[in-house]
Amino acid sequence: MGITDSLKYYWNVKVVGQPFLHWQRRQAERRPKVSSRWRSDILSPPLRIGAKTKELISRHYLEGRYANGHRPVAWVTSGGPVEILQALGFYVLYPENHGALCGVRKAVVEIYGEAENAGYSTDICSYARTDIGSMLSGKTPVGRLPKPDLLLACTNICQTVLHWYRVLAKHFEVPLILIDTPFVYTKASDHALEYVKKQLENSIPIAEQVAGRTLDYRRLKEIIHLSKDATELWLEIIGRGRHHPAPMSVFDQFIHMAPIVEMRGKKETVDFYAALLKELDENIDKGIGAVRNERKRLLWDNLPIWYRLRYFAENLGEHGICVVASTYTNAWAELAPLMNLEKPLDSMANTYMHPILNQGTKYKLDTMKRMVEEFQLDGVILHSDRSCKPYSIGQIDQRNLLIQEYGIPALLLEADHDDPRAYSEEQVASRLASFVEMLDD
Amino acid sequence: MSNPIPSRKEVIEDIKNRGELVAAVLPIHYSRALLRCFSIYPVEVWGPPKVDVSLGGAHLQPYVCSIVHNALSFLKMGGLNAADFILIPHTCDSLQGLTSVLIDLIKPEQAIIPLYLPRGQREEDIIFLADEFRSLYTRLSELTGKKPSSKDLLAAIKREETSDLLLAKLYKTRQQMGLSNLDFYRLVRSREYLPAEHFSTLAEETLQTSTQPRPGIPIILSGIVPEPMEVLNKIDEMNGQVVADDLACCGRRLYKPGISPEPFRRMAERIISAPPDPTRGNPIEERVKYLVEMAQNSGAQGIIFYEVKFCEPELFDLPNLRNSLKEHGLASIIIEVDINNPLPHQVATRISAFLEMLDS
Repeated sequence: MGITDSLKYYWNVKVVGQPFLHWQRRQAERRPKVSSRWRSDILSPPLRIGAKTKELISRHYLEGRYANGHRPVAWVTSGGPVEILQALGFYVLYPENHGALCGVRKAVVEIYGEAENAGYSTDICSYARTDIGSMLSGKTPVGRLPKPDLLLACTNICQTVLHWYRVLAKHFEVPLILIDTPFVYTKASDHALEYVKKQLENSIPIAEQVAGRTLDYRRLKEIIHLSKDATELWLEIIGRGRHHPAPMSVFDQFIHMAPIVEMRGKKETVDFYAALLKELDENIDKGIGAVRNERKRLLWDNLPIWYRLRYFAENLGEHGICVVASTYTNAWAELAPLMNLEKPLDSMANTYMHPILNQGTKYKLDTMKRMVEEFQLDGVILHSDRSCKPYSIGQIDQRNLLIQEYGIPALLLEADHDDPRAYSEEQVASRLASFVEMLDD
Repeated sequence: MSNPIPSRKEVIEDIKNRGELVAAVLPIHYSRALLRCFSIYPVEVWGPPKVDVSLGGAHLQPYVCSIVHNALSFLKMGGLNAADFILIPHTCDSLQGLTSVLIDLIKPEQAIIPLYLPRGQREEDIIFLADEFRSLYTRLSELTGKKPSSKDLLAAIKREETSDLLLAKLYKTRQQMGLSNLDFYRLVRSREYLPAEHFSTLAEETLQTSTQPRPGIPIILSGIVPEPMEVLNKIDEMNGQVVADDLACCGRRLYKPGISPEPFRRMAERIISAPPDPTRGNPIEERVKYLVEMAQNSGAQGIIFYEVKFCEPELFDLPNLRNSLKEHGLASIIIEVDINNPLPHQVATRISAFLEMLDS
């Protein structure tokens, strides 16, 4: 690590950037502005925490912009065991989150076009195309992404990440740590858990070598503790959706979940979610719901359609429908009970084996059914996501079973989480309209 | 070849007439020896092509590849009724999804047996895969009531190793054998369903037959499976000669003999040390090196990447592979197909243009 780079980091991040972002947030909190395009007639004002979310995310990418040369940088898959890297002082970047951000900012078409021009098929995951496009061209709405010193791919969300990270490893010529997590069709076998634990153990010397320091297990425990605290708070936040009216919709959750994905293991993330929970409780006390006049409540299955979040919130909100919960945002919460501070590596192996995406279709169906009951929901929207086969395969039968076996109205919508070319607004609008009519019958 | 190659159907009928068990096995890697110890005969299902896909389409989205669509359609139309078990290796997200849907939601009569394949080539991957095979052994014991000994297992492994060595020999001498592309692949793909001893006899007979080498523009075929097989006929007609391949159903399964005397570890070693395969997580650099060496050894002038649409493991590597191969003077072309469709005229035209370009 170089002195010049560190000086640059301190000046740009600590001296100039962070105070500016802090000031910007305070301004936004003092004089909250609601965009003139905000449909205040159907939606309650945005949550106040939004200013803090923006500050956290901006600060994260600002730190990344000046990280190279100052601290080691790792690019990690969203389901990756990040705690070891955090404990070694890595700056951690999640390309999937960056892909989502590009989607929300509607920058994806230009960026993934760069990957497609380089020969990457339109049939590969749109997050991967966006990331590879950004890697090849340097294009990003966040200024600049730091180059990785280390890559970590964990297959607990899909096999796609392995192929994607092999491309990154070839391009950046840096080590790639693979944490392969055997798929849990029914129950995780002992040898599979042992296999994951062994890989975690073996990843430590590689990460230590890149970081230039030795892992402090006390620090690792602290980070797992913070990770667990944040995850438990996120679980509570999602649980607040049980209230009528729900104080937060999933479209809010999709935005405010960024820290739980990319800033686990940090004190500020715990503080952030504590503040969000407090705000939700205040809104519950005041009877404020995310959707004014909430009449119907739905579950969202699969990833969001990042480039049309507002459209869905408004379209459904117009009919008094709030999408209250999601199997996707829940995926970042439901693993909290598995974390055990006393056995960090065993507990990490168990936790990272069990995200919803690494479990069978029955588990997902049971999760949907449970959430419909617990949150008192009127139906389910299943986003059939062209770019996410592990999440999407099974949805046709799941939808049929929800309707036929459990009497739960369910709609399957074809789209893609980051590629607007696989999305037809007319078709979606017409299918949503029919679904809404059916809910009212 | 003096003896005709029996069809999959004939082989299955023969096995069933003998009162033995059949396992339908989906792509790509597994241990034939482990199944054979339990007197279960593996018959592989690569699609198959040209079935009524509406049956699979009732469960799978259109962006799932045609191999998986067809396999489910084939099962639903009764094509796998003769199978007592269905073994599905964890090859990709789509096969993972199919396995899970079958276990949890469709629940066919046959037992669905998943097998997880590790994505690395490290010591821990060998240990894990050996454990997976042990676990599969236990499951098969429960299903069949048999308990083959280590000696039985090793004997079955060695029988498969002999057969695979003969397969490798066929590959090595393919250019001198004078078989058409279609005949060669009919022969080597019979390994997908013939019992090892039967395949070995067939291979030995073929190796003893001396014919004139066939001239043609030498190329490598890469991808998952050369379906529809008409493509091989077309390459023949256009004076192309497939001199080597990097196909998942063929060349990527030229397994070397294992080393360990312990049977489960030996099974694992064989798969982990197989030629580079993106579905097993081999780095792109290894694939480049392997393909370049393959071209140098075979004299191939170009590579056809013959891909099944929506196959992510294949698609990710292609830009890097093609760029690196180009640096080594090897031209390449990508052909994407749906194995359910007849070979489109456009594909034939593109292959023809590619071969002409190589010839000039």
